[in-house]
Amino acid sequence: MALRDLLSRTTLLDRVIVLVLFAAALAGAAWAAVAPGGERLVAESGGKIVFTAPLGADLTFTLPGPLGETVVALRGGVARILDSPCTHKVCIGMGGVSRAGEITACVPNRLLLRVEGGRGQEAEYDLLTR
Amino acid sequence: MKRAIILLLALVIVAAVAGVRLRGSAEAEPVFSSRILMGTVVEITAFGADRRATTEAVRAAFDEMARIEALMGPGEESETVRISRASDFSEVSPETAEVLSLGLEVSERSHGAFDLTLGLLKDLWGIESGSPRIPSDEEILKALEGTGPQALSLEGTTVVKKSPGLGVDLGGIAKGYAVDKAAEVLLNAGIESAAINAGGDMRLLGARPDRLWRIGIQDPRKADAILGTLELQDIAVVTSGDYERAFEHDGVRYHHLFDPRTGHPARNARSVTVIAPSAVLADALATALFVLGPEEGLALLAHYPEAEALVVGGDGEMHLTEGLKRKAIWP
Repeated sequence: MALRDLLSRTTLLDRVIVLVLFAAALAGAAWAAVAPGGERLVAESGGKIVFTAPLGADLTFTLPGPLGETVVALRGGVARILDSPCTHKVCIGMGGVSRAGEITACVPNRLLLRVEGGRGQEAEYDLLTR
Repeated sequence: MKRAIILLLALVIVAAVAGVRLRGSAEAEPVFSSRILMGTVVEITAFGADRRATTEAVRAAFDEMARIEALMGPGEESETVRISRASDFSEVSPETAEVLSLGLEVSERSHGAFDLTLGLLKDLWGIESGSPRIPSDEEILKALEGTGPQALSLEGTTVVKKSPGLGVDLGGIAKGYAVDKAAEVLLNAGIESAAINAGGDMRLLGARPDRLWRIGIQDPRKADAILGTLELQDIAVVTSGDYERAFEHDGVRYHHLFDPRTGHPARNARSVTVIAPSAVLADALATALFVLGPEEGLALLAHYPEAEALVVGGDGEMHLTEGLKRKAIWP
């Protein structure tokens, strides 16, 4: 009854505006629920962010640390350390990082790289023990 | 008419906001943070109802690990260095005494395979320093003089050294203890679902909100591969491997896990993964099992029925306890 009364007091344009707004709100909520965030590579040194780039970028860059410069490649959505002035080069052997939450680091050169944002794929594991 | 439209618009906005909030709560986003501490990358993942309080608890957990590092690490002001420099007796904190007590127990039960007195030997090889080298046999023999389970004893919080030059090293156990202390901080802050991972020394609080934690075990010979996955909750997991902290010379890999019987890197295993109620115990056992190898190592677990292990032998063959077989998923 109330709805009929309400409708009788609105014009066609009012109804179209309300419908469009309602549809837009629903679409927005649906998009918020399913759309992936932008994944990015974040580099930290001494606990501070020193570099960020979209994970999809194609570039090679250097990051300074206490031992010298660490070379990082970002290619095909995978970031990996190519070279570093540390003794054991463990960081080079750690492989690449590509999904949200993954970390690689050159500990002696105090550099930490991690993938942030995005919702990530359902991974095979949450954490790696090594 | 205007009032009706305003009412409808308000409803639309409420619906949209509710949709976004529903999305957020369904995902239950954890607080995730990482720092370089104790010579490795430490990652903490924590789920909590109040994001700000959870973030603060994670920060406090990192601070606690840094405190333990200062207390037991290689820094000039640490108690470990103070014990090494003392000629006979040293007074230590109850925390260092607790770690020493467990370390001495594992040392005795493993017949010295786990050894807290290899400080001089580790310095000699320099594997964790910037200039590793292969020492001569004479140098190794000298560094091993007076070491072993009987070389150090504990009376309350007093550490007694049998020989003045003995070098104490808590590297095989202190990281696990720091992880446990960080877990304590999170628990005291009311966090019941979290994971602390210090470069392979891991402690899990509860399960994830939606399922058990899935822990990948690194393949010791393939950087991008895992051996399998463990589904776990409320437990510690520690892996020791010959692929971390190592250098190669003439095609031979020299790593940081020493066999106290030879003074050389242990060769009986490629990697060991131990699960136990605490990270400090898992840490000590992982080193002991690595030195002992599959057979003797798994036999040592008779003393620790609450612990389980996977040993990848020097030949690459995998050896597991029965309990771990039930928790593992193989690729």
